Amino acid sequence: MSLNAHPELPEFDYIRPASLMDASRFLAQHAGEARPMLGGTDIFVRMRDGMWHDQYLVDVKNLDGTDKLHFDPQAGLILGAGVNMNRVMVSPEVQTRYPLLADACRSVASYQLRTRATIVGNICNASPAGDTIGACLVLGGVLDVHGVNGYREIPLAGFFLGPGKTILQPGDIVTAIRFPLPPQGNTGVYLKLGRNTWSDLSIVGVTVYGYPDASAASGYRFRIALASVAPVPLIPRDAEAYLSQNPIGRETIRAAANLAAESCSPIDDVRGSAKYRKAMVKNLTRKGLEKVWESVNRKA
Amino acid sequence: MNIIGQSTPRLDAISKVTGEAKFPGDLNLPNQAYMKILFAARPHAIVRRIDTSKAEALPGVIAVFTAKDVPVNEYGLIMPDQPVLCGPGSSKPYTDHVRWVGDQVALVVAETEEIAAKGRNLIEVDYEGLPLVTDPQNAMQADAPVLHPDRGSNIFCHYRIRKGDVDAAFADSDVIVEGEYRTPAQEHAYLQPEAGLGYIDEQGRVAVQVAGQWTHEDQEQIAHALGLPLEQVRVIYPAIGGAFGGREDMSVQIVLALAVWRLNQRGINRPVKIIWSREESIVGHHKRHPYILKAKWGAKKDGKLVAAQVEVIADGGGYAYTSTKVLGNATLMCTGPYEIPNVKVDSYAVYTNNAVTGAFRGFGGPQGAFEAETQMNRLAEILEIDPIEIRRRNLLTEGSLLSVGTPLPKGVSLPQVVDRLKVESSRLKDNLRSFARLKAGSSTANPSASSVQALQPHIKRGIGYGAAYKNVGFSFGAPEQSTAIVELFGAAEIERAIVHHAGADVGQGTHTIMAQIAAETLGIPLARVQMIVSDTAVTGNSGSASASRLTFMAGNSIKGACEQALEKWRSEERPVSVTFQYRPPRTTPLDPQTGKSEPNFAYGYVAQAVTVEVDTETGHVRILDVISVDDVGKAINPQQVQGQIEGAVVQAAGYAVLENFVQKDGRVLTDKFSNYLIPTVLDVPERVQSVILEYPDPIGPYGARGMAEMPYLPFAPAVIAAVHDAIGVWFHEFPLTPERVLRGLGKL
Ligand SMILES: Cc1cc2nc3c(=O)[nH]c(=O)nc-3n(C[C@H](O)[C@H](O)[C@H](O)COP(=O)(O)OP(=O)(O)OC[C@H]3O[C@@H](n4cnc5c(N)ncnc54)[C@H](O)[C@@H]3O)c2cc1C
Repeated sequence: MSLNAHPELPEFDYIRPASLMDASRFLAQHAGEARPMLGGTDIFVRMRDGMWHDQYLVDVKNLDGTDKLHFDPQAGLILGAGVNMNRVMVSPEVQTRYPLLADACRSVASYQLRTRATIVGNICNASPAGDTIGACLVLGGVLDVHGVNGYREIPLAGFFLGPGKTILQPGDIVTAIRFPLPPQGNTGVYLKLGRNTWSDLSIVGVTVYGYPDASAASGYRFRIALASVAPVPLIPRDAEAYLSQNPIGRETIRAAANLAAESCSPIDDVRGSAKYRKAMVKNLTRKGLEKVWESVNRKA
Repeated sequence: MNIIGQSTPRLDAISKVTGEAKFPGDLNLPNQAYMKILFAARPHAIVRRIDTSKAEALPGVIAVFTAKDVPVNEYGLIMPDQPVLCGPGSSKPYTDHVRWVGDQVALVVAETEEIAAKGRNLIEVDYEGLPLVTDPQNAMQADAPVLHPDRGSNIFCHYRIRKGDVDAAFADSDVIVEGEYRTPAQEHAYLQPEAGLGYIDEQGRVAVQVAGQWTHEDQEQIAHALGLPLEQVRVIYPAIGGAFGGREDMSVQIVLALAVWRLNQRGINRPVKIIWSREESIVGHHKRHPYILKAKWGAKKDGKLVAAQVEVIADGGGYAYTSTKVLGNATLMCTGPYEIPNVKVDSYAVYTNNAVTGAFRGFGGPQGAFEAETQMNRLAEILEIDPIEIRRRNLLTEGSLLSVGTPLPKGVSLPQVVDRLKVESSRLKDNLRSFARLKAGSSTANPSASSVQALQPHIKRGIGYGAAYKNVGFSFGAPEQSTAIVELFGAAEIERAIVHHAGADVGQGTHTIMAQIAAETLGIPLARVQMIVSDTAVTGNSGSASASRLTFMAGNSIKGACEQALEKWRSEERPVSVTFQYRPPRTTPLDPQTGKSEPNFAYGYVAQAVTVEVDTETGHVRILDVISVDDVGKAINPQQVQGQIEGAVVQAAGYAVLENFVQKDGRVLTDKFSNYLIPTVLDVPERVQSVILEYPDPIGPYGARGMAEMPYLPFAPAVIAAVHDAIGVWFHEFPLTPERVLRGLGKL
């Protein structure tokens, strides 16, 4: 063991394929020693720290439309994999129709980092602390994935297996994330708790999203996603179900926040203990639900 | 006076802004080689065997050095208890012991940094693990494993103060306050990680250009370890990217010199360069000492203190560093800036396998002040006396006796400082009162946008106070002097003055202060003063950039040199050259039984008020307003004084609420800035008001006192008191992480 195994980036080959198919084939052929790259903001840190040892980094930006951000009034929003977070934040369509996405991006580190960091990279990195993943989950994100056998769709909800682990296979490249048109009267908030005012990784992150829905017994549908409290980004289904079945009010919100806290299985680390994290999920979920509830009502 | 008291621009301002200033990592020489260090990366072990053959066989590796290559394998600022390189082959016993993760084991010199790193990774070391000692109180037990077997005990320093009769005084007290307090380790987090360039200079000397705090001490440490005469070693400081005490001990100094010198003996005359990564820096240099302080204080109903008893335990880490001196300060400061007739202090510095600990802004003062000021704030609460008023009734003043039985040197301004704080802080109290009215709904004033957020019931606000005094210069009998050389050139008038001074400009701007003092004393414009600095070959010993001493010590040496030079100039001598050594009044060590001593020759005085906002749902503490009243004697350069006050406050704010240095089983878990957080611009207090007072020190240059550490001392306890005012909970330990605050509130 050495104290300082990571003062410099190891050597690697930078691959710039001509097409998505070339990229998928290359990645499949070099499974275990190659990985797709977007902004590289996770990759380079891991490589410098000696945690990853890939020989090839395959740049998948700008391939076959991966740099597009497009809104279609019928189909919804498509975010190409290569669209960096600052571009997402300034997009008028995102600001007016998916402001939650912009809020989630704004919570990530700094302007400098966000000129490289992407939402798709945040998702594929599959860290439970990923700050934009919650928004993508509650907004019903679906991934477009290109593999050696062509394209397929993967709903985000079934994508994560564990810290850093997803259902992607060698050769798979996420080319975009798509979001359906948002329901009428929706509101979302992202409450990120760090140790300092800004730029820390999340001790916990709570995304809450809600809208009126006549098909729910309570008349409302709430979506919740929790960061940094389980091996994967967590959707507290019990809490969501409770909110669709019971008349919304202070007590229901409180009970749902308790359910959300009970559904997590956080760990202790230098940023916070499991106990603190659970307590914060309860407080922030309650606060998030109250905010969303108030705003949904105001819109109605 | 027309130059002193002016905020003249810093001499290095333009070169720092344009990037022209060279820091150690920016220096390069033709044909230089690169060095990497193999750290032990384990906290307690014996090095049984080192095999460097694979590393040596790696193409591009020039040499590998281990303990057997170090002529005198020991160093240490206070006592030489640390091997330069840990391993077999030294004549000194126990130098094969590793006592801390940052111990250095081998050096690899290679054609490139990459090859040096690869070579380092090829070195094979067999370690025999030893039992860990990480709790200082356990380390003090008779049956604890002993880190330095030649010493027989882990307690390497014990001071006593015995003044009056504490037991009788406690029996006679109306009220007794007791508490056990703990203070955390802290990382210096200077911008510039350790780096340096070593080479053989044109006169055949082993030269090292590094960032440090005392060129001549570095020179001595290097010469001792290499077994060379002093003149054979040269130390030069280029621009230095911060220090805060963290560069007082050796990091790369000795090993760079060793590598250059050994290579030279092998006929290889090549410069050697090293730059530490941030991780190496955080693990590789010492931290602020964690302390445990157990206090019992007694007072009369009117708030008059009658007795204080304190036990102080400092976690010294694996080696002494400056622990004994830091402990001396804490021993004095742990009873606060108060005159207490009966005092009993026992203080200990203890070896453990935790990170080594040493100098850090305040030098034991902040630890002592945390306990003393919190005791005082709690006493004020119990007796229902205003916290400023209770201080007023106990403050040290002209002629009062310290705990060590002697009066302070003349020029004690604590009462004036505290009175001024009372005046200045009344507006903070008014703000809090109107905020409380708003919150209770009994005010119709329009709340500002930021206070709308704060009107929520889970947001609480409060105010807290602290006062402190801190020595200027070396204490307790440590040899103290500073030497300046001044040359004057010209015919009818002085056209040019050259000041040679070794004092380190670590970023605090001391070279500008030195030039201002020279220009003022000589009566010439600043532009005619040329500074030749921080090179042992051309400057006299200045003493360190520490203990808030350079303005005072270097200032007095330059003032003295300039005055003598002027006399010669007036008697028509051309050119003039004067070497002047300034020696302050003598100090004396603590008497081993009673602690009686003349601890210091000068002090600076400070008092602060702090307001905070606590989020009782998340536990976050935000610092709103800080008023820092500092008697600096004379602000030679007011803007620099203000910069030091604000800098100290920000650094102390990190210490008080944010910076959480985590160690587990002797390993550092927070070895990067992504997990060891320091304040960003968004975390610093919202408003800092620096109130600069100028009650001259009778022997300071132009009346100046030292001031750069003083604002650090009362800050953490003032924050703790403000948080108590906000939420009614006393914290005996910090940093006030959100989690600790919630636990204190009983919500976890
Ligand atoms: C200083 C700093 C601060 C940070 N702060 C935050 C923060 O506050 N919040 C936060 O959530 N994150 C933070 N991060 C982490 C990081 O920036 C984000 O996770 C970012 O979104 C990653 O995006 P990227 O485009 O840089 O991904 P990359 O680093 O390029 O890739 C990330 C991972 O995804 C894989 N991948 C990339 N593209 C694809 C693809 N098209 N298909 C399949 N797999 C792919 C890569 O192989 C890699 O495993 C921070 C990082 C740094 C360096």
